[in-house]
Amino acid sequence: MIKITNLNKTFNENTKKEFHALKNINLEIKTSSCVILKGISGSGKSTLLSIIGTLLKPTSGEIKIDEDSIAKLPDLHASNFRARRLGFIFQSYNLFNELSVKDNIAITLIPLGFTQKQINEMVLKAMNLANIEHKKDELVYNLSGGEKQRCAIARALVNNPDIILCDEPTANLDHDNSINFIESLRELKKLNKTIIVATHDPIFEKLDFVDEIINIKNGIICE
Amino acid sequence: MKNSVFLNFLFLLLTKHKTKHISIFFISILIVFLSSSILFISTTLKKEIFSTLDNQSDFVIQKINSGKIENTPISWIDDFTKINGVEKIQQRVYGQYYFMPENIYFTIVGVDLFEEAINKNIKDLLSILNISDFLANDSMIIGNGIKKIFDKYHYFDSYDFKLFNNELKETKIFKELPIESNIVANDLIIMDINLAKEILNIKEDECTDIVLNVPNNLERQNVKDQLILKHSNTRILQKDNLKKEYENMFNYKGGIFLIFFIIVIVTFTLILYQRYSMISLGDKKEIGILKAVGWSIKDIIKLKIMENFIVAFMAFIIGVILSYIFVFILNAPILKNIFIGSSNMQNDFIFNAYIQIDTLITLFLFFMIPFLSAILIPVWKVAIVDSTESMK
Repeated sequence: MIKITNLNKTFNENTKKEFHALKNINLEIKTSSCVILKGISGSGKSTLLSIIGTLLKPTSGEIKIDEDSIAKLPDLHASNFRARRLGFIFQSYNLFNELSVKDNIAITLIPLGFTQKQINEMVLKAMNLANIEHKKDELVYNLSGGEKQRCAIARALVNNPDIILCDEPTANLDHDNSINFIESLRELKKLNKTIIVATHDPIFEKLDFVDEIINIKNGIICE
Repeated sequence: MKNSVFLNFLFLLLTKHKTKHISIFFISILIVFLSSSILFISTTLKKEIFSTLDNQSDFVIQKINSGKIENTPISWIDDFTKINGVEKIQQRVYGQYYFMPENIYFTIVGVDLFEEAINKNIKDLLSILNISDFLANDSMIIGNGIKKIFDKYHYFDSYDFKLFNNELKETKIFKELPIESNIVANDLIIMDINLAKEILNIKEDECTDIVLNVPNNLERQNVKDQLILKHSNTRILQKDNLKKEYENMFNYKGGIFLIFFIIVIVTFTLILYQRYSMISLGDKKEIGILKAVGWSIKDIIKLKIMENFIVAFMAFIIGVILSYIFVFILNAPILKNIFIGSSNMQNDFIFNAYIQIDTLITLFLFFMIPFLSAILIPVWKVAIVDSTESMK
């Protein structure tokens, strides 16, 4: 369970450029559920996702994941939390184009101290799940958009996380690849992953496996 | 972080950031090349000169008259022999001979070939010699620099020395000294002691100076006092003092280069700092991805330090190899003249490869510590930057 209480995020605090990205957010996301954070650009959904992913720290408020507070974790603990429990999927894939598919996926495991053999096994498993194992030695640079997204999914899954965060995952995909991505999400849901998707793509609105759609506007959750 | 994925990633970063690293890489090679060349030259010269000094006698005694150095009477040898603790006492004959066509001086050294206590350096140089053949004619062994000059003026077999009474003394060129001895013997002419006396106009019962050894360190001051008591008109040169003077000279020259090195390193450090302080959008994105997949700031700093360490280490190795080739294979053209100083004759001596590992380690640390310190702060600044925006 992810429990967010009175969460606020202000950028450039106490300056002329002060901007309130999130205002008094209260939210509960059940374990193994799929939640869509919906809103237009600049609404605050990506900021919320980054805070849940411990990439940003909230200005005030609390986030608890299974009773563990993650709002103010120091960097070492936050990174450890991300490495073990989170998987990120981004709009622009955020892969290293000059590396092969398997090396891109393996990067996640480097700080965790696994042996080369363990890394190879985990990467193979993740590639199988994301259906990208046939391109394992291909440089990411040479992949199509859909293949890149599958590579990003494999990277997000390689550490076997229980929470998957997706930031505008279909923004760079055509319709067919978007459908394929949604099917991948369905599979992840079956694996009991908690999935949070920040998007403004209407394709996510009528999906049978989505448990909740949360609208965010100007940093506020709209009922 | 010790697996092939990490190494792959590290080398990927190196190639990806090659434009950022390339100028620093070449400047680093240049700095290491210059500083290690200077170190190689100075340590080799120092070693050669000090090993020569080590083979010298403990005391050199010269006769002084009205503050001027004169030839020393051989009879003094008997006087000094009576002093307790004195060993291996002998006369030395040497002097400078002016060679007008080139406006340079040769150094003539007269050697008593039957003397047991002959200087080890000269003994080594004469090991190639057949003494009876050498003495049968008025012969000489010449250094490599002199050989070149004699060849230039077509003195291939012999040279006519002009004596004090304007007569000429034909002296055969018996052999030339090996080029390896050039540091100490480039402008040297070695001949029989009596012949040397004749050419340098030294009387038979005189010599240039007298040398002696005092094996017991504690006795040296006492012996020195007694030498003066025997003959008050003496100038006594002590090997220990000569060593100190050479040491000072090397420290002085080394000190100048050290100041240059410090200035260069400080400038280089500032350039490095400025260069690595520039955070591009690509850098931000890279850091952002790594953070998102669970890398801590510490991991990212480690990665960046290793990336730069490889650049610096490769530059160091290449710089040292290049300087080895420059000094010990190409014989350090240009640079060696700075160290040799005002030699009156062009000296094409060969540097015998001599490397002190502790000197190399010192250079490595003096190069590496400022290098890595200069990038540490910019790297840390990059690592803590909020990169969430750059990932969109």
